Amino acid sequence: MTNFDTSNMESPLHHRVAHTNAANAGVVMKEDKFRGQLNLRGNPQDVAFTSAVESVLGVALPMAPSSSARNGDTVVYWLCPNEWLLIVASGTQGQVEADLRTAMEGQHIAVTDISSGQTLVNLSGTGVAELMQKSTVYDCHESNFPVGKVVQTTFAKTGTTMCKLEDGSFDLVIRRSFSDYFFLWLQDASDEYGLSVS
Amino acid sequence: MHHIYCPYCEEMREEEEYSYTGEAHIERPKDPAAISDEAWANYIFFRSNPRGIHHEMWYHAAGCRRYFNATRDTQSYKVHETYKMGEMPSITAQTLAVANLSEKGGAS
Repeated sequence: MTNFDTSNMESPLHHRVAHTNAANAGVVMKEDKFRGQLNLRGNPQDVAFTSAVESVLGVALPMAPSSSARNGDTVVYWLCPNEWLLIVASGTQGQVEADLRTAMEGQHIAVTDISSGQTLVNLSGTGVAELMQKSTVYDCHESNFPVGKVVQTTFAKTGTTMCKLEDGSFDLVIRRSFSDYFFLWLQDASDEYGLSVS
Repeated sequence: MHHIYCPYCEEMREEEEYSYTGEAHIERPKDPAAISDEAWANYIFFRSNPRGIHHEMWYHAAGCRRYFNATRDTQSYKVHETYKMGEMPSITAQTLAVANLSEKGGAS
């Protein structure tokens, strides 16, 4: 598979990026554009499967519910007992998919490239904790949502997969088709803190 | 706010993430051609609809997207337990009746 050129592509939040409105914004939104996203399914009890994935990604699949694993640009989210989301460097998803298929030859697995269907957004800033409180039904307090935890829930009633990072910010995977709606909600909900978009 | 325990995510989640998908433990007849129309219709259309304890399937739609079973009281909406697909409930109308009886017996 060939890697594609992203210089002429528009990311899901492309037309919103020019919108910056606050100097000392309490909420900072940054779209991590064009990250490769692969959905992986397989039997977690099968050592051949888990070791093959680990050999390609350089990191073991997280097995505990709501956990994640990282290896540089490669991030692995636990989605359910036999399903994971792989987020890889922009443009490398084709190669990663091919490598995974080679390593898992003959196994009962599924690898699906879903990069074009969703996008990764990072929310940070002093107001982000309060923003999350009013946007999602999940309890985002650090006692319930520690660093590295991955939670699939609703954000403003749309589905999202979110992960807490070490710097206290949140990575949200949102659907491309809901990106407009997501941004309009974000704009409204972060009005009182100020919103900066980059 | 109503929290339901997901046996796959292994934590309490908001009801908004789930959807109800009907009665649990309904077994498909092994040989549909061999049974009567009435038995087939019962399998397809008829549900128990009890007042009280009901074993039913729930779907963690906004979460892990897995189906699981729940034992719920249809009168109080109390969810007594949730358990994975393929498992059997530890709480039934019978076990609750026995527990209530022994509770009353202990009090007198």
